[in-house]
Amino acid sequence: MKVSVSQQQLAHGLGVVSRAVNPRSTLPVLGNILIATDEGRLRLSATNLELGITCWIPAQITEEGSVTMPARTFTDLISTFPNDTVVMNLDARTQTMTVRCGFNSTDIKGIDAQEFPPIPVPDLSAGVTLNMADFREMIQQVVFAASTDETRPVLQGVMTTIANNEVALAATDGFRISIRKLPLAAPFEKTYNLIIPARALSELARIAVDGDQTLTMNVPPGRGQVIFHLKNTEVVSQLIDGNFPDYRAIIPRSFKTHTVLSRGEFLNACKQAEIIARETNNVIRMEIKTNPDRPGEIKISAQAEQTGSSDVNLDANVDGEGITIAFNVRFLREVLDVVKTPSVVLETNAHNTPAILKPVGDDTFTHVIMPMHLG
Amino acid sequence: MHIQRLPDDVASQIAAGEVVERPASVVKELVENALDAGASQIVIRIEQAGKSLIEVADDGRGIPLEDLDLAVTKHATSKLRTAEDLFHIQTLGFRGEALASIGSISRLTLISRTAEQKMGGKIIVDGGKLVLREQIGAPVGTIIQVQNMFYNVPARLKFLKRDSTERQQIENFISRYAIAYPLIRFLLVVDGKNVFQTNGKGNQREIVAQLYGIDLARQMLEVNLEEDDLQIRGLISPISLTRSNRKEITFFINGRWVQDTPLISALLQAYHTLLMVGRYPMAVLFIELPPEDVDVNVHPAKAEVRFRNPDRLFSTVQRAVRRALMAHSPVPIMQSSGWQSPRLNSWEGERIPDPAWQMQIQTPSGPLSSMDDTAMPGKPDEQSAPQASPIPSGQIPLLRLIGQVGGVYLVAEGPDGIYLIDQHAAHERVLFEKLMHQQGSLVMQPLLSPIVIHLPPAQSSLLAEQLVALSHLGFQVDEFGTNTFRIHSIPAMFSTGDPAAAIRSLVEDFEEDETPFQEEIETKIAARVCKRMAVKAGQAMALEEQKALIRELEACESPRTCPHGRPTMILLSVDLLERQFGRRGSR
Ligand SMILES: Nc1ncnc2c1ncn2[C@@H]1O[C@H](COP(=O)(O)OP(=O)(O)O)[C@@H](O)[C@H]1O
Ligand SMILES: [Mg+2]
Repeated sequence: MKVSVSQQQLAHGLGVVSRAVNPRSTLPVLGNILIATDEGRLRLSATNLELGITCWIPAQITEEGSVTMPARTFTDLISTFPNDTVVMNLDARTQTMTVRCGFNSTDIKGIDAQEFPPIPVPDLSAGVTLNMADFREMIQQVVFAASTDETRPVLQGVMTTIANNEVALAATDGFRISIRKLPLAAPFEKTYNLIIPARALSELARIAVDGDQTLTMNVPPGRGQVIFHLKNTEVVSQLIDGNFPDYRAIIPRSFKTHTVLSRGEFLNACKQAEIIARETNNVIRMEIKTNPDRPGEIKISAQAEQTGSSDVNLDANVDGEGITIAFNVRFLREVLDVVKTPSVVLETNAHNTPAILKPVGDDTFTHVIMPMHLG
Repeated sequence: MHIQRLPDDVASQIAAGEVVERPASVVKELVENALDAGASQIVIRIEQAGKSLIEVADDGRGIPLEDLDLAVTKHATSKLRTAEDLFHIQTLGFRGEALASIGSISRLTLISRTAEQKMGGKIIVDGGKLVLREQIGAPVGTIIQVQNMFYNVPARLKFLKRDSTERQQIENFISRYAIAYPLIRFLLVVDGKNVFQTNGKGNQREIVAQLYGIDLARQMLEVNLEEDDLQIRGLISPISLTRSNRKEITFFINGRWVQDTPLISALLQAYHTLLMVGRYPMAVLFIELPPEDVDVNVHPAKAEVRFRNPDRLFSTVQRAVRRALMAHSPVPIMQSSGWQSPRLNSWEGERIPDPAWQMQIQTPSGPLSSMDDTAMPGKPDEQSAPQASPIPSGQIPLLRLIGQVGGVYLVAEGPDGIYLIDQHAAHERVLFEKLMHQQGSLVMQPLLSPIVIHLPPAQSSLLAEQLVALSHLGFQVDEFGTNTFRIHSIPAMFSTGDPAAAIRSLVEDFEEDETPFQEEIETKIAARVCKRMAVKAGQAMALEEQKALIRELEACESPRTCPHGRPTMILLSVDLLERQFGRRGSR
């Protein structure tokens, strides 16, 4: 193999794929990045067998070939190069690559590309096309609610449903659920119910650059994988096998109290209360009061034996009965962080039944939170 | 005292002790008899954990009228004729001892009829004496009732454990046999309640699902290996599914549950380096080999066996398990390379120190151990050096975090030296104190919808007894049908963990009769949950998390030990370091 590429593009490509490298893998080749010529471009791939990322960069190819390079060494080296042309020349017999840029010439020992796990090729004609900016927003609005506990793989995933010309994402850790829907731009016949690792979706959201207007999601039959195809990048993720909780059954249908308040003020109040609440399992108490003559108000309070206590009062439009309810303030803060509208509505029934938080004037996003219980 | 021949009844009570130790051993003998009789349905009823009643009814071939007396006579069996037969035993029983022994320590009623005979017979043996013999109408099959076990051997009675413990042993035994004999319908009735039932349709995975829940059953991997006259079948857990002890490892050899066998080590070796320290797989493995290759006549209760060719069996079991694990491993190529790789042996898997690390700390000829009082600990519990000692209790000084080592330890600096902190043990301590101190200001995080967990009958009884203790700690759990529980809420401090795993960990390693006192039980439960929920060795922690852990540890009342008493930290004192580096003479 002999190729020349731009240092900037190579460094960027390595940055993208190296997120899938597992330096602790027991399989040495998984600590490496595959570098291969591919129809006039240079292809970079990394995989930890759960998540695979491939990125193509423009290249001038003198001789076709492929090899895998130790991720850390190779990435570190390229990042120190000046913004110039990088010339790579592989000695296939020793699997050693000579990397030249400016006055530097470094030999790096690689591992045969044959040992690198094969990466599936998507069938783009059978895929769903999604608007990248929308999909990235959807991902951000749900992934934080997924569980981080490795013993519950299903909850580490995002339920991704494609049906009735709509895509829906839902994630839950058992205490809250975040659900976001979006109509598809073009009709799509097939129905999918996939549990995609939240981590893979987060990576996808991170990778997508402004140049990517759309992405194609492809589910090759019978492989237990999903492939996201972007212009110059592809993300392959293993799907999670299992039963996702039926979240539709959990969403309450009617409420006794609707409280509309400013997202920004609410978020700020939560951040302030969290500083105190950190020490007491993040509990905050919310008193929602109605007033006969003026708009309602909310008092958010937190107390910690060691640190002190905090009270924040907010104006709100309260419709229905007053209520006192306790929440994990982190849950509130995390959802308020991803809501885009200026006002949100908090819908409640009782101190021990699920509450809903959603943007005002946007029906596509719903967040359900189970309140806390003070014994 | 002169030597005297023991009266018959005393002699048989002594002999009985070898076969029947406790209610579960009676159940075992009776169920084995039913299986030997070719039953397709076995109903087991127990009352008061079997102390007042054990009844086993089967639809097997029955005992001919004229043999009834013999059945309860010592060394009378239909399963063996000559000594030669001992070498190819195909049945579970063969010693002809069980019924006689049981009859000598209880009131035993035996009702039986064969298909050929119109009338059945009934005999009652009470304390070893035949007190009734009559003909009666009865269904084909055998019913044996054992009442008031050990009523005439008070010394034995005293040694029985709490009812719940005795009951769990029976439940455990029936669960195991139900899996091993999936074509036979089992029904277990405890104090009038059906606690466990199988349908006899032959689906082992379905029975495992009934006992442990569908999710778990679905994950179990199939083992199937046949080599010449040796067959190994069964289900084993994938490496992601572990238990904190070996109690869920079961071996059946030619249809017999063998509890004490080196094959368990063979299984564990197959998992070696794949599981974290202190975690064990679950397994039910069935080994079939020619009867002449096994000697079952080692132990009166037949719980142990000897093999003619143990090495071959050992390695075949290991191979069978390895093969099943590999076939389902997420890293298919692992097998071909690098099991010996030092990287694998490092922090992630077993906590085997990296060679480089060993050099600094453990080399016998190294500078540290060359000094009389400064031998560095290999394991915390072996350590003896005063300076490196974690022993003094009480608060620790303010520490400055330096970093995490190998994903296992935190290193911090204090005014008196360098602190090595075991992250798992430290976190256990922090969680434990939080959990114990929340009484009065209990904060619970309810679940959106309750989590349902299935437990085997033995574990269910355990959990059912502890629901109140759990609610004091913030776990709201209720019984939801037989062997099924619902978790409604958990202590808020655990809201990032897996509630079901926390609850399971409680019952998993409850030892028999561990603590009879309720206050102690709560502490034990708390310690156990914290162990399960704490960060694990090998888990990378963000810098913020590391700092938070140290801050929280500083605030603990007993920061130097984990709730189980192991040290959370080791101090390398300034003094020790100075002497080690030769900056100062060693006294
Ligand atoms: N459930 C049963 N059905 C038919 N026969 C039985 C049953 N239980 C016991 N027997 C008969 O009684 C005999 C004695 O039983 P036991 O004392 O357990 O000795 P063993 O099982 O070692 O032969 C057995 O050999 C068998 O013939
Ligand atoms: Mg027997």
